[in-house]
Amino acid sequence: MPTVVLMDVSLSMTRPVSLEGAEEFQRKNLAVHGLTMLFEHMATNYKLEFTALVAFSSLWELMVPFTRDYNTLQETLNNLEDYDKTCLESALQGVSNIVQQEWGGTCPCQVVLVTDGSLGIGRGSLRHSLATLKQRGEDKKFPLPFPFPCKLYIVCIANAEELQATDAMDNLEQLLSLSGGEGQIFTMDGPLCLKSVQAMFGKLIDHAYMPFHAVLRCGNLASDVQVFPRPEPVLLDEELDPVPKAVQTELEIVGFIEIGDIASPPVLSRHLVLPIAVNKEPDEVGAGAADEMEEDTSTNQMAGKSPNFCVLLHGSLKVEGMVALVQLGPDWYGMLYSQADSKKKSNLMMSLFEPGPEPLPWLGKISQLGPISDAPENPYGEDDSKSPFPVLPKSKRSYAQNVTVWIKASGLQTDVQKILRNARKLPEKTQTFYKELNRLRKAALAFGFWDLLKCVAELLDRECTLLPDSAHPDAAFQLSHAAQQLKLASSGDSKYSAFDHVITPMLTDFSGGGSGTDRM
Amino acid sequence: MPCGPPPSARFGDVIDLLRVLAAEPGALWLSTGSCTSHRSPSWDPSRMKMFSVSHKTVFVVDHCPYMSESSRQQIECDMLTKSRAQAMIPLAPVYKSLWTCAVECSMEYCRILYDIYPAKKLINYMVSDSECHILNTWREEDQSVQELMSALAAVGPPNPHEDPECCSILHGLVAAVESLCKITEYQHEARTALVDVAHRVSNRGRIICLTNAKSDTHVRMLEDCVLETIQEQNKLAAGSDRLMPIQQCELVLVHIYPQGDDTLVSDRQKKEMTSVLSSEVHSVRAGRHLASKLNVLVQQHFDLASTTITNIPMKEEQHANTSANYDVELLHHRDAHMEFKNGDLHTGGSSKESGIRETVTLKWCTPRTNSVELQYCTGAYRISPVDVNSRPSSCLTNFLLNGRSVLLEQPRKAGSKVVSHMLSCHGGEIFLHMLNSTRSTLEDPPSISEGCGGRVTDYRITDFGEFMRENRLTTFPHVLVDAAGRAPIERAKAQLERHTRYWPMIISQTTIFNMQAVVPLANLIVKDTLTEDDVLTCQKTVYNLVDMERKNDPLPISTVGSRGKGPKRDEQYRIMWNELETLVKAHVETSERHQQVLECISACRSKPPEEEERKKRGRKREDKEDKTEKNGKDSEEKGWTPDTERLKGVMEREKENESESGVIKDSPDSPEPFNKKPRLTLEDLQPQEKSKGPVSLLSLWTSRITQANSRKHPEFSGRLNSINNKAELYQHLKDENGKDVHENGKATR
Repeated sequence: MPTVVLMDVSLSMTRPVSLEGAEEFQRKNLAVHGLTMLFEHMATNYKLEFTALVAFSSLWELMVPFTRDYNTLQETLNNLEDYDKTCLESALQGVSNIVQQEWGGTCPCQVVLVTDGSLGIGRGSLRHSLATLKQRGEDKKFPLPFPFPCKLYIVCIANAEELQATDAMDNLEQLLSLSGGEGQIFTMDGPLCLKSVQAMFGKLIDHAYMPFHAVLRCGNLASDVQVFPRPEPVLLDEELDPVPKAVQTELEIVGFIEIGDIASPPVLSRHLVLPIAVNKEPDEVGAGAADEMEEDTSTNQMAGKSPNFCVLLHGSLKVEGMVALVQLGPDWYGMLYSQADSKKKSNLMMSLFEPGPEPLPWLGKISQLGPISDAPENPYGEDDSKSPFPVLPKSKRSYAQNVTVWIKASGLQTDVQKILRNARKLPEKTQTFYKELNRLRKAALAFGFWDLLKCVAELLDRECTLLPDSAHPDAAFQLSHAAQQLKLASSGDSKYSAFDHVITPMLTDFSGGGSGTDRM
Repeated sequence: MPCGPPPSARFGDVIDLLRVLAAEPGALWLSTGSCTSHRSPSWDPSRMKMFSVSHKTVFVVDHCPYMSESSRQQIECDMLTKSRAQAMIPLAPVYKSLWTCAVECSMEYCRILYDIYPAKKLINYMVSDSECHILNTWREEDQSVQELMSALAAVGPPNPHEDPECCSILHGLVAAVESLCKITEYQHEARTALVDVAHRVSNRGRIICLTNAKSDTHVRMLEDCVLETIQEQNKLAAGSDRLMPIQQCELVLVHIYPQGDDTLVSDRQKKEMTSVLSSEVHSVRAGRHLASKLNVLVQQHFDLASTTITNIPMKEEQHANTSANYDVELLHHRDAHMEFKNGDLHTGGSSKESGIRETVTLKWCTPRTNSVELQYCTGAYRISPVDVNSRPSSCLTNFLLNGRSVLLEQPRKAGSKVVSHMLSCHGGEIFLHMLNSTRSTLEDPPSISEGCGGRVTDYRITDFGEFMRENRLTTFPHVLVDAAGRAPIERAKAQLERHTRYWPMIISQTTIFNMQAVVPLANLIVKDTLTEDDVLTCQKTVYNLVDMERKNDPLPISTVGSRGKGPKRDEQYRIMWNELETLVKAHVETSERHQQVLECISACRSKPPEEEERKKRGRKREDKEDKTEKNGKDSEEKGWTPDTERLKGVMEREKENESESGVIKDSPDSPEPFNKKPRLTLEDLQPQEKSKGPVSLLSLWTSRITQANSRKHPEFSGRLNSINNKAELYQHLKDENGKDVHENGKATR
């Protein structure tokens, strides 16, 4: 989840902070101090996060485009200049553009807005923006909510009392709820000083930038991993299940499935699964034979050289073209697979399915997936030529069955023409003729379209009169029989107009001529 | 606001209300899309409520005499071909009645709905004349177009001669409200699951009434009737277990009038009558206008959007060698258009005006053949073709149903091509997949080889691959829980647990898993239950190992990390036996028979032999080899009756089991067991010979292949005994002539 740091560089940020101590700080210094702490944390614990730095006053500027180079971010941060007044709306519009250009409209982002809580005056102030919210045209809409999912963290170099003294807090709260409600406002506790700014940024880090550590298990094989970006809690149904579901820190593999069978499933998010070295007693099973291999494990230098389950799993998934189904929580699953970044680099990746007992219709209910050894015979066949997937749905969709739709006249005409075409090739086409005839009959009865039945009966009668002399005698019999049956159906007589009644070919015997229905 | 909050907005819900405020006033909820369609479920109110208004839809279709009136839309059935045209007068065209129009359009609504939501969105269909005929129920098995068509046929068209005074749509509307109070299977399930918070399960619904109204006053009368009935029914429902009061009801009145007539009823946008009931009126001419109105409604009601696939090459029957390009329009959940929602359609797709409908155009990319690729797909949505039985539609759907996938790209005038979607079929259902087409936030990650364990090079990748194949999943749709109360997925986890109790990750950590001879035992011991035969096989494996040790066969012990030649042979066997014991001990609790296997190992495994004894054994060796060989031949001759042979073997083995533990412990050198099982000795010795000394990649590979082959069929004894794949024929002749059989190198020395 990329981060945009939106830094207020308006003049009010240069207000000095009153301190008993010797040194005099500006609010901006405190902000820079806090952000430095954030950047340092990210550089060590969250280094795959892309971060951009935007400075704003009445104008905004993208100071550092999205990068993982925290030195550049830090350097630019240290050299920010001071400008005029605060204008949040245009800056937020800028953030919106920057994010969409880089990541498109679906990638979730975090915006860290660092401001002193003086939100401008007159036009362009947040107060003004919020007051005019409802009087805007389509082209001048307020940038929030962002078109992409976003968490907005508003970090104030001010304490809550100060903000509540004006309407600043109200405005910021309104801003937060406009953004979709995900996020938080952070204020400083007590006097404005280095210590309290550290405490505040510490809270932000704890809240939004703590790496997600978990244990990946496959039976008794296990590995400590970091999942990046950290998986976010998911809200399923606000009424039935109002508590967001979070990925648990025990990721348990439940079995394996071929890539072809899982078939590009839709996923909520993708995450790298990075094995990490954790100092702890070696309690893993499998270490039994390892005792003669190495006595001292658990140092970081040794980490690369001691076998790790993630690497084994990754290698085999890649070679076999399979994915591992992994349980993330109660009724929540995902998959692990090898993802190649380029030809040389590949990685263990985890994708999260939508929570629920049946995230992929073609696998059926996950709880009903079991080991192949339980099946009476191997469902994959002895030579892997078969597969138990996809699971077929109970009913067919309309496009997979021969439905009749006459909304457009052409649909109806095609169906009538089909019958007439076959009528002209009687008796060879007797079966197709009756099949089409019955299909039309059923639809006409369901739609209460009895006039159509009469009309087609007339058409068949006329075909009968137009039969050439060379025609087989059976043709005439079948045509008038069919016409008769349609007329009966259109009469509403319950015997003939029953939906499930089927018009069967007239039984004729032209055995003398060696043809007739028995030719079929 | 002329257009009320979206169906899912609740009072008091600040976020929802604010979103509504931000939306363009008066715009259709469907077409703005700007304020709701975020991927994350926590962002999209429409995805967040199982029991929204669209959970239950009641169709009430007017079956009164006036519905038998003609719609005056004429259809030419008599399409004469030119050659025949002169000969006759064409038949008069036919006209659909208002009833036929209403029924077929509502069926089309249902078809689209069932295609896209095969579950959880339910329809209750009723027709009203002098009474109300309810054609189906909320039950899942009643939810299909076939069921409804059959029931409609039974009702038939309205009777024009019935007394109009007795007939009214009101019967249907009253029944519709009653039906909305009835609990669905889903609601029941949810209420049962959430006993303590059952109030979270809400009851909302929609009534779509297709009728021919007399006037605006008549319409108001119908609305009032619904409102009153809701109030009455809610009182009734409050005291019942099987009924639920209606919290929210949307009434959609569609007034249908014949073409050419002036309408007597005016359109009206959605209006809140009370906090429970909202109502809207659509006045529509019968025929295609009605069809497109209901198409728009189904899209609005179920959050659908339209995509037109363009440039689909199709071969014409008449001109088989040329292909023309066709377009096919599909409906699906609007989330599939998430990335277009910011109005950048002018670059991403094009929005074309077709009536009131909007569609996004995507271009067909000729499919590649390798479909076994894991695409990064952010959503998959069921589709329904707009024009289901037109030739281009059925051509496309059949292509997909046959298992092909098609990538779709955004039409762009310039720049690189952007593939944003994929059409693919899973189990007879076609899905529009949304693919990620923007920059990935996970780009350029550190390679796995740079992280923990990345420097280790001898992972048992192939073995773990084999392990994964054995632990593949399959579906058990009819087995909910086994005897122990475990769901299939729990059994899968249990199997993984068993299979990994002892599983060294790298080749140099293990001896036994590098030995062909151990494979039969290793495969069996992890099983939940062992048969008598399984135990026999395990024991044979152990005897075989004993034999190998006796013959001083080398073991594939890793020399990695140790200087020089590594441990001595005796030490190697000690390591091997220890490891084997570790493996079996991990499973000893599983069953009696697992215990038997461990006992067998404890009984057979070597004690450090005295130097002398070993020498003695060395001298005896030649002798024994001869014996072994002879026995081998014996059993081969007898081998024509394998069943009796095996039976005998089983019985012998059982006897041995009883005696062995005592006898053999005392004299581990005793040749008895090996000689009794000569065939196994022959079979399993072979691969071991090849792995003399440190294991090479070739020998690993060869042993793997051999292992795979040996599972499929018993190896020819000729090949088993061959040297460099050449087997000497008529060895017994030589043997009889007193020559050494083993001079060809078969023996281990």
